[in-house]
Amino acid sequence: MKIFVSILLVMASLFASDATIDVVKKADSLPSIAVEDSSASYDQTFKSKFFKSVIADLNVLSIFNVDRNHRNVNFDAASVLVENKNMNYVLRYKLFEGDGRSLNVELKLINNNGVVYNKNYKVNNTNTYMFVSHTIAYDINKFMGEPPVEWMKRKVIFARMISPQKSELVISDYTLTYQHIVVKGGFNVFPKWANKEQSAFYYSSLDENKPTLKHVDIKTGKSKVIKSSDGMMICSDVNGDGSKLLLTMAPKGQPDIYLYDVNTKATKALTNYGGIDVSGQFLESDKVVFVSDRLGYPNIFSLNMNTGAVEQVVYYGKSNAACSVFGKYIVYKARESSDAFGNNTFNLHLVSTETDFIRRLTAVGVNEFPRFSVDGDAIIFIKNYEGQSSIGVIRLNHNKNYLFPLQYGKVQSMDW
Amino acid sequence: MKKVVISSVLMALLVLSGCGDKEPQVEATDSATQEVQQVETESVSSVEAPVVTESATESTSQVITRLESELKTIYFDFDKFNIRADMQANLSTGASVVNTQAKNFFVKLEGNCDEWGSDEYNFALGLKRAETVKKALTAEGVDASRISMVSFGESNPVCTDKSKECWSKNRRVEFKLLP
Repeated sequence: MKIFVSILLVMASLFASDATIDVVKKADSLPSIAVEDSSASYDQTFKSKFFKSVIADLNVLSIFNVDRNHRNVNFDAASVLVENKNMNYVLRYKLFEGDGRSLNVELKLINNNGVVYNKNYKVNNTNTYMFVSHTIAYDINKFMGEPPVEWMKRKVIFARMISPQKSELVISDYTLTYQHIVVKGGFNVFPKWANKEQSAFYYSSLDENKPTLKHVDIKTGKSKVIKSSDGMMICSDVNGDGSKLLLTMAPKGQPDIYLYDVNTKATKALTNYGGIDVSGQFLESDKVVFVSDRLGYPNIFSLNMNTGAVEQVVYYGKSNAACSVFGKYIVYKARESSDAFGNNTFNLHLVSTETDFIRRLTAVGVNEFPRFSVDGDAIIFIKNYEGQSSIGVIRLNHNKNYLFPLQYGKVQSMDW
Repeated sequence: MKKVVISSVLMALLVLSGCGDKEPQVEATDSATQEVQQVETESVSSVEAPVVTESATESTSQVITRLESELKTIYFDFDKFNIRADMQANLSTGASVVNTQAKNFFVKLEGNCDEWGSDEYNFALGLKRAETVKKALTAEGVDASRISMVSFGESNPVCTDKSKECWSKNRRVEFKLLP
């Protein structure tokens, strides 16, 4: 019996941290939370927008059962509202306008009639209110002792197609509520953050004679040309310190993966297969994961940069044309129908380099362009379903997907 | 000394008087010739030069438009980049036009895909389609250095309906001519 129990314990500990294993829904056991609004400044429309944003963020945290009722109360009221008496937690905030039209937020988290957490926030204007809401959710999550959700505060950069050969590059928050067009006009695709601080980005311009990789510094607004190539020029990945890039270029019409050193500007070809090699992603310090059709169909492979050895990484799916890597995990897009005459389904799957398990992450529509968050906690992806283009967020450890629809245009590519 | 002075004065008078007699005639002849020449030169330059320049600009873009309409789009099968048998005729026509009437232009091959995928692989597929056409053109005698390629992936559709006809129209390589 002891042996049996110890085997069970070992199994449980092995799988406990494996994201490829589905988490059984635990909604019933989640603590409840209600949000109370004590705002004096601002009109009802803005107050409602802010409230909805906070509710949405708390939902995405996936650690609470969130009550959606918008109720008002005095910020200094000694106890929570009668309706919220049975809630495990009550989040109470007060919005007020400060100097120079700044948006200020006072916040407290109440548990068992006592304030267990409080913090104040300030932004220069109300246009960026959603980032305050995301930061509040980030802080509450941290206070609750959950793994960090760094990605919530990060910005998303995406290319939106407006019409054939016309696109714009947009910086947004992860819910697409805030949107700022950074490159307008022209035909620009595949934006990629140039560093962890998100202070600069790369993108491919298709307006020049040859596809050209450009770099834009957000603070100064300065743009510079990095490199051009006939056929294709895409920045697929940037390493941790931003000093090395994985490029897909085709100087002789042959799409291959190249390593580019930002400081020395030296380029080194990593692949030379006669078919398609694209979408290089750094894996550990000396490996690259990429998409290749060397078996006659697109699939995911890894390349050891020192030895040049190539290994197949994914063994499921007939057409796996995109992937993203975080540590031992690889999320990839698989075509699940190959119909030239009907709607095709593309789903995202998660595999680990250490186990044989495959976890399907999406169910319907065209799900593509998966990107792990910086901390590996979530996956962001593009979903096109029934004419609607959205950005989706998958909370791996909570088994939940959230979709944020785009008002107009189609998301071509993005980075987180 | 006196003789020298007198002879010099006489010489000067002779020279001056001689010049004075001939000058009007020479001037008259010269001015007449110049006038004729000026009229001729002006009429040539003012009539011919602008016409030549204008007709050259117009005809380059007109020629490109006319020739591009003769260069037929090459269509591809779903997820494929090999030349279909029914596209061979379009390709041969293309090679022939590029080698003869369009021999003074560079050729840009634009690879395109249908809407099924917006990732790098789809762009690469568009590029491989362009490369296949490039190889076929060079096999038919087109100088490879005249050909450049670009892939627009799924981002340059000619048709945006959700139908099989529409998708098949988007899986294509188009010829563009550059001066």
